[in-house]
Amino acid sequence: MTNTSPLLQIQGLTVHFGGLVAINALDLSIASGQIFALVGPNGAGKTTVLNCISGFVRPASGAIRFGETELLPLGRDRRAALGISRTFQNLQLFASMTVLENLLTAQHAQLRTGLVRALLPVGFSAREEAQARTRAHETLALLDLQPYADAVAGALPFGIQQLVGVARTLVVRPRLVLLDEPAAGMAHADVERLASNLRHWRDELGTTLVVIEHNMRLVQDAADHVCALNYGSKLAEGTPGVVLSDPGVQEAYLGRSGIGTSGVVSSSASPSATSVGEGEG
Amino acid sequence: MVAFAQVLFEGIVTGSLYGLLALGIVLIYRTTGVLNFAYGTIGAICACFMYILMTGPRIGFWLALPLTLLFALVFGAVVERLFARPVMHTPVFTKAIATLALALVLQTIAMQLWPQLTQAEHFSTPFEGMALRIGGVYISAVDGLILGVTALVMIGLSQFLTRTRLGVAMRATADNLAVARLMGVPVSLMFLLVWALSALVAGLTGILLASQSQILDIQFMDPILILAFVGAVLGGLDSLPGALIGGIVIGVADNLLALLLAGHTLGALNISDPGIRETLIFGGFVLVLLLRPQGLFGRALLRRV
Amino acid sequence: MPTQHTGESAPPAALTNSMASAPDRSMRNDGWRSRLLEWRGALAVLGLLLLLALVPTIFDFWFGFSSDFQIHRISLIGIFVIAAFAQNVLTGYAAQPSLGNAAFFGVGGYLLAWLTNDLGQPYWVGILVAMGASAVLGIVVGGPALRVSGAYLAIATLGLVVIAGSLFDLWDTTAGRQNYDLNTLPALLTDDHPLYYFILALTAAILLLGYNVLRSRVGRAWLAIRESEVAAESFGVNLTRYKLLAFVVSAVLTGLAGGLYATWATTASSSMSSTDQTIAFLTMIIVGGLGSISGSILGAIFVGFLPLMLGQLPDPLVVGPAQMQIATLTTGIYGLLLLLALIFFSGGLRSLFPLARTWAQLGAQRILKRGAA
Repeated sequence: MTNTSPLLQIQGLTVHFGGLVAINALDLSIASGQIFALVGPNGAGKTTVLNCISGFVRPASGAIRFGETELLPLGRDRRAALGISRTFQNLQLFASMTVLENLLTAQHAQLRTGLVRALLPVGFSAREEAQARTRAHETLALLDLQPYADAVAGALPFGIQQLVGVARTLVVRPRLVLLDEPAAGMAHADVERLASNLRHWRDELGTTLVVIEHNMRLVQDAADHVCALNYGSKLAEGTPGVVLSDPGVQEAYLGRSGIGTSGVVSSSASPSATSVGEGEG
Repeated sequence: MVAFAQVLFEGIVTGSLYGLLALGIVLIYRTTGVLNFAYGTIGAICACFMYILMTGPRIGFWLALPLTLLFALVFGAVVERLFARPVMHTPVFTKAIATLALALVLQTIAMQLWPQLTQAEHFSTPFEGMALRIGGVYISAVDGLILGVTALVMIGLSQFLTRTRLGVAMRATADNLAVARLMGVPVSLMFLLVWALSALVAGLTGILLASQSQILDIQFMDPILILAFVGAVLGGLDSLPGALIGGIVIGVADNLLALLLAGHTLGALNISDPGIRETLIFGGFVLVLLLRPQGLFGRALLRRV
Repeated sequence: MPTQHTGESAPPAALTNSMASAPDRSMRNDGWRSRLLEWRGALAVLGLLLLLALVPTIFDFWFGFSSDFQIHRISLIGIFVIAAFAQNVLTGYAAQPSLGNAAFFGVGGYLLAWLTNDLGQPYWVGILVAMGASAVLGIVVGGPALRVSGAYLAIATLGLVVIAGSLFDLWDTTAGRQNYDLNTLPALLTDDHPLYYFILALTAAILLLGYNVLRSRVGRAWLAIRESEVAAESFGVNLTRYKLLAFVVSAVLTGLAGGLYATWATTASSSMSSTDQTIAFLTMIIVGGLGSISGSILGAIFVGFLPLMLGQLPDPLVVGPAQMQIATLTTGIYGLLLLLALIFFSGGLRSLFPLARTWAQLGAQRILKRGAA
């Protein structure tokens, strides 16, 4: 499965919040072109891993290597410039901008126009702006969002806003996309569609995705590789079928967050787990 | 040494006045999110009201005082209903500008009502000329009164906010509006009470300042308002003792600098000029903020991602 | 069977379809529509500029003798527009609640006076140095501002204004003067008509260039900071650089406005760096509308014109049986109007534009209907 060299290599990552150990000596290796799912009960440290990669949390120790680059010494904006983009659980859209403007703004790191060249929209800055618009429209088309191009982002329904958040990460032609619960609050049919879309987008853009998700249907359908976390440590890792049917993982969900989530795990994971596992293996 | 003690004492007294105003500023800011630049005017109008009571119907000081404090409470409540309520849902900056507009309106109304107070008038109190001398330090009765009232207001406010149901409800409103509303706190009544209470503090400060300087007019509190704001921010904008201490620090710094710089020149520059003093105070204030961006006693805000 | 098939495969079909052809179509659509809108806007702006260019001629015809005086008063609005735009870049776009711009306003005025009067430099050098010095001061203020935020930043920057005001005052008293008069202005700029055109041209140029910048990658980065610092950073916006840039741009423009104000008044005074002046700038952008160029213009007109208009009211004003001295009321009326504007147009006066458009459309429809009937 992972015959290429890893795109993202996390080694011995440890994060403390006060006296609490949020992440404990975590090792992860994410291959180029993978859809990599991080699962685990609430508070397991999934978002913290994402925040370490994008730079919002500074780990106590460990290393994160992106391609040939060591990420931890870099500022957040520099990491974005390397081609890492992400979504947020609370979306963090540029709410008063239109969807198109959101996608233009997201391309900040890919564009070069500075204050002086921005004074007059001719030559370089005009060409660059036109390219940025083309890319934005292409991405909107890819996600079926063209009807919303000129709508104010903050006024859209939550489901559409979620998609805009994803579009914002894809418009930058990213090497690595971090999605924080892209299926939160989604209806069953939409989740199925999202799963196929994630694969489609990945193939279309040739990128790598790290997805945090509670929805096991999505993980099952979309992920190539799954890592389950609990209390900041790795519980299990492997193909979706193997990990989701792992007794330890089921225990973590059952023991920690009650019937609702565990229902999802047992009902959707157990019956189909073996078949997917076999198919992939 | 005695001169130093005297200056220190006077600094604490002036600082207490800044601190009192800072208390009211923080009270309103924490609960309603209004940076109240009309606060000085509110205090000044209360003091002017007392002056009018004492000069017009010739009511004595000790009867005029409770009447004025009652007036302050009502005045604060009226301002809240007529002014603060309509702008409550606008952004913080808009609210701040709105209070400036309010100050202009209130001052104009007061000037129409009491034209004699457009100029400085003598504010007479029973304490004029009363003073003590302790170890060489000269303490006027008004100075003592200012310290006493400040201590009482501080203790009274903190007791009220921690010990009474009403006070706890007020703090809940300040901490989290939505949660307070869910818990059944009558939020709208709380806003009214906070404005009334802070107007009371402003009125007290106005009366004390007028008693100390023995003169007043409608705009006499404007100059100290900015320094009170500096004190409030220095204290962290979210703690009442912090605001008081912030105000006192400013007062002491102002008086000490005046002593240190008096009569000195730097080349052609007269550094005892109040301008230099102001520059140094504000410069120091900015330095403190750089070292502690949330003020001396403020809690650092965490950013959630 | 076929219907069922298309129904099932609708999402992927739409996906591939849109990827193949829709981008071109929507691009063309967007291009057309926005080009049309741009043209309409550009025409409106050209018309407005033409009208403004004709104002002196109209005034000469209208006011006769007092025309110069009236034109002089109108020129001030242009200076305010520049200052309001500068404050809006910093506060309305990059969301930095700085109250410090009046400091740059004073620096611009005093440096121009010093360089032209005492150092005998040409006017242009004076203006450029004033802008350059404001830029440096902008960095000095902007640096700390990166650590301090919200109400803390507001009061701290207000401190800067107080400091600047006191120092200018001290400079004046030390030099034994009331104001710092500009005695060596170019003859052209002491004449009201050329001064009007000079300020008009500068204001128009700045707004045009500013419009371009705000629509570019730079302007979007500022807006992104306002909307979500977290998201801005995770898409590569260097917060430090762009906040600092906003401070510097704002300082430079305010410094220029200060120089122009001193030119206009032929004197610089310490009241240029006062809390009142800072409040005036802030009022302009909040009354006009945060984060908009038209808002900056409307706000500057509100603050610049309203006191003048109130000054035109008959004095004493008779309201029913009461007679009032209007002079003592102007600040109060001004405050009241400001308050009403803030309460009823909390998005700024520029929210009147869409409103006016709707009214106009409704009115037109009604007239058309009546015509048809």
